[in-house]
Amino acid sequence: MTVVDSLIALIAVIGTLIVAFVVSVWLPGIERKFVQARIQQRIGPPISSPGLMAPIKFFFKQIINPNSPMPGLYNSLPIIGIIITILLLIIVMPQLYFLAAFASVVALVGLLKVEEILYMFMGSLSKSVLSIRMPFPDLVKGAKHTDVPRSFVEELSSMRAFRLIAFGSFPIYIAIFVPVAMAGSIFLNDIVAYQQLHGPVLFTLGGILGAIVFFVGFMILLNEYPFAILKTKADVIEGPLLEYASKYRAYVYISRGLLIFVLSSIFATLFLGLPPSILSWTILLNIVVTLAFTIIMAIVSAFSPIFTYKQFYPVVAGVSILGVLAIIASFL
Amino acid sequence: MDEDNKITDETPKKQVIETEVPLGPVHSAAIEPYRVRLFVEDEIVKDAEITVGVNHRGIERIMEGLPVEKANSLTEKICGICSNIHIWNSVLVAEKALEIDVPERAQYIRIIMAELERLHSHLLYLAHGNEVLGHETFSMRLFYIRETVMELLRMVGGNRVQYGVPVIGGIRPRAELDQMKIQKIEDGINFLEEKLSNFAERFISDPMIMSRITGVGVIKKEDALRLAVSGPTLRATGVAVDLRRDMKEYDPFDFDVITQDDGDIKSNLLMRVLENFESIKIIRQAINHLPEGSITNRSWEMQDTPITKNYVEAPRGKLYHSYALNDGRVRHCIIRTPSITNIGAMEYACIGCHITDAQLAVVQCDPCFTCTDRAIQIIQL
Repeated sequence: MTVVDSLIALIAVIGTLIVAFVVSVWLPGIERKFVQARIQQRIGPPISSPGLMAPIKFFFKQIINPNSPMPGLYNSLPIIGIIITILLLIIVMPQLYFLAAFASVVALVGLLKVEEILYMFMGSLSKSVLSIRMPFPDLVKGAKHTDVPRSFVEELSSMRAFRLIAFGSFPIYIAIFVPVAMAGSIFLNDIVAYQQLHGPVLFTLGGILGAIVFFVGFMILLNEYPFAILKTKADVIEGPLLEYASKYRAYVYISRGLLIFVLSSIFATLFLGLPPSILSWTILLNIVVTLAFTIIMAIVSAFSPIFTYKQFYPVVAGVSILGVLAIIASFL
Repeated sequence: MDEDNKITDETPKKQVIETEVPLGPVHSAAIEPYRVRLFVEDEIVKDAEITVGVNHRGIERIMEGLPVEKANSLTEKICGICSNIHIWNSVLVAEKALEIDVPERAQYIRIIMAELERLHSHLLYLAHGNEVLGHETFSMRLFYIRETVMELLRMVGGNRVQYGVPVIGGIRPRAELDQMKIQKIEDGINFLEEKLSNFAERFISDPMIMSRITGVGVIKKEDALRLAVSGPTLRATGVAVDLRRDMKEYDPFDFDVITQDDGDIKSNLLMRVLENFESIKIIRQAINHLPEGSITNRSWEMQDTPITKNYVEAPRGKLYHSYALNDGRVRHCIIRTPSITNIGAMEYACIGCHITDAQLAVVQCDPCFTCTDRAIQIIQL
């Protein structure tokens, strides 16, 4: 690789990251204003508000220390989340396929796992005032049970994050291996090259099933309704994100928008053979896929109640079985 | 629901509880300040305890010694959702004690107000229930439907929350219904009936919602009776008790007492949906047969009366008001709102539920804790 090639690659990576960032700040607005507000027959927020103006606003808010045993670590977790998201995007960019093992689905799975683990840490490090015991009515006025160990709502969501790591993320990982089964390689450049020769994985039976499974996994990973067990309003409220304020909350918002774009780009790479790159017009198709995912996700969320484990387990089990069938179909 | 998790009379009172998860008094799923302590094992609720009193104002104490007209107006402040039923019941106590006859036209307009309020209360309940369920679209659409009722209440009463329609002997002159208002009410309830039918059809046919609410938060008929549950929550267990049947004001109207059999969240939600259609039926009869004549009987005299009590069917259940009159002033006032008798059922319904369902199990009993807090009486021991 010459110096010029390296420079072009560097510009492509930075340019793609900028495009990703610019697109991602509008996605929450599209989700809430164009889709959900329209379905719910209400005006909704300005389109720039949830993804762009809210983070800007939070950047200028007074920094409040969270109620956490390790506030420094707790506050740094959203930044780590953004870094992981950026790394995920860099992996799928064609300019970095020379990194071999780093540009493979194994690296993708590893980084996605770290992203999931972050929620567990966030939950266990947050101790919001909402769960603090009120001693007077509980202990003096004849409470049913006294001196019971108390659980913070964030601890509850931390335990749920652990369960999600254990079973909730099955669909997305199974779906990621559908193109691997077809291409016969775990390396992204091989998967993209296979699709340039044989057409997109999406247009096969295994690919269609895999895409459905991927989409469900995508929603689970983003903690969207109906899979939002980490941040159910009825009990844990915001869950692991409850104590984030000021610029740290802005990072949370940025991270979520970016993750939507990145996961959509992973899908475009694995199922359409279109890795995100500013040097190719196919970046537009990446954006189209991102918009399609955002809109479909918003529609599904708007028409779903939140699942409890009673609904969550069967859905994950069913979708995972579908994923296995997709892999089998890919081999045929 | 897991029957093994229910606490029976044989269960020792002090059981070993793994963890306590306190929710509230400030919580996103609670529109009012109350606290529920959930005692859980692996996210399954083994026992629950509800604490109220955060918003205590002691309205009964404030009413003591006030002229009866002022005291009646004050009862509207007990609740922001069912303010009309409070003032109506308070006025009924005075009318019962002083043996005042109310003109028939005024009775009909009072019924229209009561049923419009029931509609708005039930729609708020359904919207809030769907919000706790996580279904924001249904919640928003129900709030949109409810807006029609709120506008009708504003048109008749002059306000959206406290209408001040009933007065001793009749209704306020501003609540008199002319032909234009009657037409608007008719259009409003026609719109409401159509929208509610659409909602009911979609709600029942949604498998995800049915999966969340069927067989969850069950209150059996015998337990509901033991826990002195009242109102639609009791009727959702299969007990056909509706105080409107015993109120002479409702004698001219034909309506059914709706019941459901299962006592779960689904039964409670459907109960309110179906009761809305009965309320629409009553309002339609009232506006179609609205008698002519006066709306106020002014020929009565104030006198001292013993403690007089009256029960009415509020949107949430049995509402009790009692007081005596001395020199035209209220004495020995006691108010008991339906939610206070339903608290036992709310705690009971949580047992065996997943934590996420626990708030829904509380909400299914249609609690109004602010109402309960404001009217509760502290007894010195």
